[in-house]
Amino acid sequence: MVSFMEVINRALTGPSYSEKDYNLKVFVPKLRELVKKYEIKYDPENPIPSDDDLADRVFKAGVELYANVGTYCVDTGRIIQFTEEEIQEALTTAPSSPVFGEGKDAKPLLARKPESTTPPWCFVGAGGAAVSNEELFVNILEAYASFIPLANSITTPTIKTISGKTVQAGTPLEILACIRSSVLAREALRRGGRPGLPIMNSIATAVSDTAKIAGSQFGLRPSDGWLIGTMAELKINFERLNEIAYVLSLGGHVVAETAPILGGYCGGPEGVAVTNVAYHLNCILVMKGSAQLTFPIHFKYGCTTTRDVTWAVSISSQAISRNSHFPFFILSYTAAGPMTEMCLYELAEAVTTSVISGASIEFGGVAKATAVDHFTPMEPRLASEVAHGVAGMSRSQGNEIAKHLLTKYEENIPDAPEGKKYKECWDIYSKQPGREYEELYRKIKRELAKLGIQFKS
Amino acid sequence: MKEQIFEDLFKAIVELDREKVQRAANELVREKLNPLEGIEKGLSKGMEVIGDKFERLEIYLPELLMAADIFNAAMEILGPQISAGEKNKIKKGTVVIGTVKGDIHEIGKDIVAMLLETAGFAVHNLGKDVPASTFLEEAEKVNADIIAMSSLLTTTMEHQRELIDILKERGKRDRYMVMIGGAPTSLAWADEIGADGYGETARDAVSVALELLSKKRNI
Repeated sequence: MVSFMEVINRALTGPSYSEKDYNLKVFVPKLRELVKKYEIKYDPENPIPSDDDLADRVFKAGVELYANVGTYCVDTGRIIQFTEEEIQEALTTAPSSPVFGEGKDAKPLLARKPESTTPPWCFVGAGGAAVSNEELFVNILEAYASFIPLANSITTPTIKTISGKTVQAGTPLEILACIRSSVLAREALRRGGRPGLPIMNSIATAVSDTAKIAGSQFGLRPSDGWLIGTMAELKINFERLNEIAYVLSLGGHVVAETAPILGGYCGGPEGVAVTNVAYHLNCILVMKGSAQLTFPIHFKYGCTTTRDVTWAVSISSQAISRNSHFPFFILSYTAAGPMTEMCLYELAEAVTTSVISGASIEFGGVAKATAVDHFTPMEPRLASEVAHGVAGMSRSQGNEIAKHLLTKYEENIPDAPEGKKYKECWDIYSKQPGREYEELYRKIKRELAKLGIQFKS
Repeated sequence: MKEQIFEDLFKAIVELDREKVQRAANELVREKLNPLEGIEKGLSKGMEVIGDKFERLEIYLPELLMAADIFNAAMEILGPQISAGEKNKIKKGTVVIGTVKGDIHEIGKDIVAMLLETAGFAVHNLGKDVPASTFLEEAEKVNADIIAMSSLLTTTMEHQRELIDILKERGKRDRYMVMIGGAPTSLAWADEIGADGYGETARDAVSVALELLSKKRNI
């Protein structure tokens, strides 16, 4: 495979374009041409399609797109480009079962296929949402470890304040907050009884490369997942490449994060699906990842649970999982927040779609992951149970479930309820949900079981 | 004839037809029609339709950018026909816009900038990762009416507060209207930090900017 040194070389010497020209003269026209060429058409009636040929066409379009547009380095204004042969070679030699975690919690992350009975990896947490202070940070992480038995890895929230002081990116407070994030997360997982559980989102509080690398010195391990992001669409900058240089030298796992935007340069769901495949290749070739974490997201609503995003997630996941052994996660964001029926319906729909289509899951961001303290361990717990409950289910059955769930909430997405804060629906001392939330969880679970989701408990 | 040319300008924007807009704009100049009327009844009306379509996601970002480009192509022809005095009369106000320090998300902010521009504002787009001091320097330099800040991260939204605090400390708060936006922000956040306005969507942002401007001019 093309080496990381060669990637840097291409970032410094590749074809030169202004960012605007890359967007509008390179990326957009080629994507549109390929959507047409491969006859990729969104079908709102079937958010989880069962069309293998369509999935394979989406994959071919994604490979052709990436061979033409590569990844744009915004610091140099140059395209990091690969030939189709280099892409094919990378697909052959990409990691297929990286081991994350320590001790009893060390486990290989396996690539899956559509309708696979292989249990999905459950990467759980708050999807990077913000927690108001360090005390709640520790409390919720301990609860993730102790309350979610199906958790395979954890995401840590963003810390909003340290020692009562609001953290501002780009100041020394960011570095101090990142250090505390590492120290406190490890301690919380130890308290929760799962000290070997991998932290898989690096440090959500980190905005800069400096803060991420500094914070990591205080507790992150090479066996964790070092989440490193791209910029929409198919762009990367030196800060992220700096982080990759560091993680690779450490022997750590890069978890390469991507987020094609529906409504942005990708256009509609068809363009998002093809771009998601191109991002998969970027994660292998440019980012030297051990896994891809991707979340096609709706530009207007800031969530992943709309019908059109569902279709794009499903068909691109099928495309990737049928044609690549490089493991990937779908991260979901719900519009509604904790202790609302809508949030639980949305998460069930999103997780069902991802797992049946061949992905593992990260769950996830609730209330769009934008409201402070609006998350509890209940949502990722139900997500992990649904994920295991639909493994092996057919796409056609999953499609019926997704359609049913969509009708329950999709009209409410523009005005979704924010739900309750952590302390309002969770007992922080017993680390258990409040009675009202417990009852809602049981009610929704019974409904989901009637739809055919086979819960193990 | 006159109405036909305005209709052609309107349709050219809606149909994203650059040649048509240039033809219609040249025709308007040849017929010695009022260019301001052409902008108002043709181009701006077309941009409103484009904005509505984008809001409903019937079209996407590339079409929106294309429409703005076509609008500007027409303005290159009509602009020289408008006197400086008239330009000032139609200019709605001046906005300095950017994504705050530490934050590199700018697609949403760029859409707001573009819609503000086509709505008649003079827009100074500072890009991403913009320190508070740069917002302030530029606002002073161009005598801005509005400072607009975007933030997509909970750890960078504090920089919106920072700028407002600096304006207060330097006794300059009353000189500018300040509006904010971005996924983790809200009306409640705008109130908390003392911003004058909050736009949830790009279209909202334009309405908010217009409201703020009229408020500022009536103070």
